[in-house]
This record gives sequence, C-alpha cells and structure tokens, in this order.
Amino acid sequence: MRPAAFFAAAIGVAALAFAVASLIGNDYVFFAGYTVVQFIVLATAWNILGGYCGYVNFGTAAFFALGAYTTVFFHKAYPLPIPLLLVFAAGVSGLIGLGAGYLTLRLRGAFFSIATLALAVVLQTFVVNWDYVGGSRGAYVIRPDSIDVLGFQIGYVRYLCLIMLALAAVAVAIARTIERAKLGYGFAAIRDDELAAEASGVPTLNLKLIAATLSGALMGMAGAPFPYYTGYVEPASTFGLAYAVNAIAMPMIGGTNVWFGPVIGALLIGTLMQIATVTISSAVNLLLVGALLVGFVILAPNGVVGLIQAFLRVASPSRLEPRSIGLVALATFAFIAGVLEIVFGLAALTAPDPTGLTIAIGGLALAALWILSAYGLMTLQRWSPLIATFAFALSIPVGALHIWLDRSPTNIALWGGAIAIAIAAVLFLQRRDVRRFYQGFPAKEARA
Amino acid sequence: MTPLLKVAGLGKRFGGFVALDGVDLEVAEGERLGLIGPNGSGKSTLVNCLCGTLAHETGAVTFEGRLLNGLPTHARTRLGLARTFQLPRPFAGLSVADNLEVPLLYALNRRRRLTAAETSERCEELLRLVGLVDCARKYPRDLTQVDMRKLELARAMAAEPKLLIADEAMAGLSHSEVAEIVSLLIKLNERGATVILIEHIMHAVMQFSQRLVVLVSGRKIADGRPEEVVRDAEVERAYFGQ
Repeated sequence: MRPAAFFAAAIGVAALAFAVASLIGNDYVFFAGYTVVQFIVLATAWNILGGYCGYVNFGTAAFFALGAYTTVFFHKAYPLPIPLLLVFAAGVSGLIGLGAGYLTLRLRGAFFSIATLALAVVLQTFVVNWDYVGGSRGAYVIRPDSIDVLGFQIGYVRYLCLIMLALAAVAVAIARTIERAKLGYGFAAIRDDELAAEASGVPTLNLKLIAATLSGALMGMAGAPFPYYTGYVEPASTFGLAYAVNAIAMPMIGGTNVWFGPVIGALLIGTLMQIATVTISSAVNLLLVGALLVGFVILAPNGVVGLIQAFLRVASPSRLEPRSIGLVALATFAFIAGVLEIVFGLAALTAPDPTGLTIAIGGLALAALWILSAYGLMTLQRWSPLIATFAFALSIPVGALHIWLDRSPTNIALWGGAIAIAIAAVLFLQRRDVRRFYQGFPAKEARA
Repeated sequence: MTPLLKVAGLGKRFGGFVALDGVDLEVAEGERLGLIGPNGSGKSTLVNCLCGTLAHETGAVTFEGRLLNGLPTHARTRLGLARTFQLPRPFAGLSVADNLEVPLLYALNRRRRLTAAETSERCEELLRLVGLVDCARKYPRDLTQVDMRKLELARAMAAEPKLLIADEAMAGLSHSEVAEIVSLLIKLNERGATVILIEHIMHAVMQFSQRLVVLVSGRKIADGRPEEVVRDAEVERAYFGQ
C-alpha cells in the first residue's frame, strides 16, 4: 500500500472506532478510549527512536509534559483551538528533542537513557518554578461542555477523543512510511551496528536527530490535549514515571520492529489498564505493566509480533496455511483470556471473604494455564496441545457457571460465544495434523 | 599522476602509546596493495584513521587530491573509500539483501540517483558477484563464516568504492575458503577498485599483492615488490622472527 492510501485507511479505521464508540453512546467509552489511543501515539512515537534506532528514551514524560504545558501556557496567554495547539506543541517538543538529541545522541546505550531521564528532571524543575503555568500548585484548565465541529454539536470529551484518534492515524502512518523508506533502512542500520552504518555511508548523527525530533514532536502532540482532558495539570503527575514506563513497555510487549507492534502493545496494555482501573484500582496499573514487561523480556524478548513471526517462520515458511493461522488465533485468544483472568483474579483477591479468595486462586490458576498454553503453542512445545486442550476444556464448565449465575442476554451471548470457541478449539487441537505438527518440531528450533 | 590515496606523516597515539608514528603511504589507482605487520603494529589503527573512525593527530590523508582530515566516516564512504571490518559486522536485523540496500541507498545513491528498480538490480548483481544469491532473504545469523565475509565484502562494494580496504577478510577461514576470497578480491580489483588488503595469511597476501607494505610498531619499515620485501632483513627480523 502506498503511504497516502495507508494514511486514508488509518483515518478510516479511526473513524470506524469513533462510530462504534458513538453507537455505544456512553461518554465513559470516550473517556477511557482517549487514554488508550493516547498511548498508541506515545508508544508509536517512542518506537521511532527506541525501536527503529535502538536508543532507549526514558524521557517520554518530559516531551508529553512539554506538550501539555504548551497548552497551559496558551490557555493563560491566548486561548487557541486544539488543532493549533497541537502544532505549537509539536514545535516546542520537536525543538527540545532536536536540542537534547544533539547533546545526548553521541552517547551510546545506557548513557543515552540516563541523559534522557535527567532531561525529564531538569524540565520538571523548570516547570515547578515557573509560576505563570501554575508552578508546583498546578493549573486548572476548564473545558467547555461541548464544541461545534463542522456544524455538529458534540461533547468535548468526544471531541478530544476524535483529535487523539486522528493524531494516532498520523503517528502510525508516519511510522509505517519511515519503515519502508530510505530512512527506515538507515534507522535499522544504526540500531544493528552504528560503526558499520557509518562505513556504509549512513550519516548516523543526522538520522538520529531526525528520529529524536519526530519522536519528541509526536509525544508533545499527544500531551497537548491532555490539560483539557483532565481539567487540571500539575508537574508531579504530568512528568510522572508512568508515561515513561508505559511508552517503553508497550512497544516492547507488542514488538519494536514493525509499526503495528506498538499499536498492539498500546491496545493491549492500555485496555488492560482501563479494566484494572475499574475492577481493582488505578494504583495496580504500573504493577501489571511491570509484571507483563518482565514476563515478555524473559519469555518473548521480541514481543507479541516477534513471537508470532518466529512461529510462522517455522510453522509455515513458504505460505500462510490455515492451520498456522488457526493456531495463532487460539494462542491469541488464550493469551487475552489469561491476561484478563489475572486482572479479575486480582480483583477478586481484594474481596475480604473466603469466596473471593477461592475465586481469586481459581482465576489465577486458570490464568497461568492460559498463558502457558499461548506461550507453548507459539514456541512449538510438545506439551502445549495437551495443556491448551485442558485450558479450553476447563473453560466450558466455567462459562456454563457464569451463564447460570447471571442470565442476562449480554452475559449469555458473551459466555455462550466463549463456550463455542472453546469447543471448536478443543476439536481443532485434537486433529491429527495439529498433534503431529507439535510432535515433529523440536522446541528450540522455534525459539531461535 | 597524483596517487588515489596519499598518506603523509600520519601519527596517532593512545595516551602514552604511539600507535602510528609518521606513516607515509601512497596508493596508485587500480593497485593491489598488501599491508602486513605483527599484532599491535598499528594496521587496524591505520585503517580506522583512513576511514575516519578514529581522528589522527598529525599528518594528512588525501584522497583523489582532496584532504580528508576531520571528515566523518560516512562522508568518506560517499567519496569512494569503503572498508570491511576485521570481525564481520552485518546488520543483524536486516536480511542479506537489505544489508546491501543500506550502502546502495546511502552511499551510491548520493553519487548518482538510483530508481528503486536500479537499486534492486544492483543488489542482485552484487549478490551474484560474491555468490550469495541463494541467501538473499536469509538473515546474517544463518550464514556460514565464509558467507559472512562475502556479505561484508559485498556491502563494502555496494558503495562502488574507488578504494576498498579489506581488514583481515580471511581470518579464521579454511584453505579453500581463503582461495575463494582472494579470487573474489582480485575480481573486484579487475572491475576497477583499488584494494588494500590487510592480512596475516602470507600465501594469500603474496598471491594477491602487487606491492607489499610492512608496518611494525606504528612505523612503515618496508614498501616494495612482495618478493623483495619478504627477503628484506629488517622485515624478517621484525615480522617472521629469527
């Protein structure tokens, strides 16, 4: 697909997401969705420097906050419409990215990361002492109730969500265009071996500066609508470690080599965090992200995308076979079920009675089974069809129990669907070709 | 005629250690030059100074009459001065074909505009030249040692250098593989590239070189026809041992 066509498709997907969210009709969907989409932008932006060039940036929060504080500044000085604020935020954070990059991008590895962390501290100190934008007290930015967009009166949160969706489409289109262009080859060369890249004619410093500027500008743009979203910004949370950690964790969990890696990571982790916020508390978010990140770094260092790519390289090297697609689908289902089960298990743990404890232990055990199945299926472990069959079979009575407990139509549809998938999965895993497939490959081959 | 490469009084020290001590060297266009010397004699430092990876302290490097002092590595590559690394340094995350794409896009493309079709055609041609056509879609980690060396050479050649510096392109290879690389280097030379070969394997150096330069403790102690140089008393004492 050509870049323009891809951009049009990305806008289409964003519009579709907005339309679906509008059909649900609840403002909360937009409120939660905004955060998830914001993380798509942040993760994609981080990945341009971190994933493509291999320079791990711990300063995401600094660039994000720069965007947010650009908005605060203009809100006080001369209120502007948000699309214009995005442009200014991009300019400010892009320039800081360029300047900081010029000073720090000669440093390799951990030294660069430490420098970016220092940048965040310096900027935070600056903002804390700048009274005009609220200093350490923070600043209130009162958002209007609704706004007129092309003749439609829409709620302001919806408007913010729409802007963030458009920004995500732009960010993803930029990332994908870079990947396939000359710049992408240069970035990949820098990531793999900077000395060899120079020897091949790649002007490494210039390219890294381009990456830092683009990455910083996009992060700033992600932060620009933020004051209107929360209504109040203060340095400690805007410069919070959570942004830096999430922007690193999402691409790492999704996969850093391709544009859809950060998108998958952001959708997965972002949604998970929203669910955890509702069922447990927002305080548990960072714990969840941290645990997942540790798990992925150990078991699947190339993220979801890397794991599936490695599986497909061994399972269907020449062309995509339905069997391989089926197995990827099963593993995906098992993984998502497992992660959700962890959240619900933890949520049940917070209930102080013995029933809660029982449910929690059962849920966490099931979660372990799910995740083990997903991992085993994708790394071609001999034992994995057995474990996966067990997990799916076990989910049939669990689903039945859920239907028995709550016989509302949505619940029946949800769990009925899950039971149907489970039955299909069990039957699929019993097929001779699937069984033989897992007997034929030594596990270590898949992991390479 | 001005030489392609002219090195005059090149000096480099690491702290108190003098790595290069006033090295003079001229390389004519189309020449095949062998550069030998014991370990630690400054061969790799010389390469690094020529390519801009290290900055030299005294002297001058002139390439096609142009002073290179202070020019970054990528600019030198674009001018036509390419190198291979002693230990192959492929781009591990890129396929073999994409490894060649990098210098094609960044070095050759600077000298003359290439269309996408021309780029892939050049890539194919290079792979055929070094005999890696079947490995185009493979990743460097799946290559054998000798194929890795060929990839290293192909990547350097993709920039269409006027001067190719092959830094120990054959270390660790078997006898037949060494012969393969030597004939490949001669082929590259016949296609117009001036080649400096840095090597420890003497029969390969003798077979390849038209002229031989010996470096010992950062000083050039001999420069001339290979057969004469290896019989030189000083070279024998310093390099081959008594």
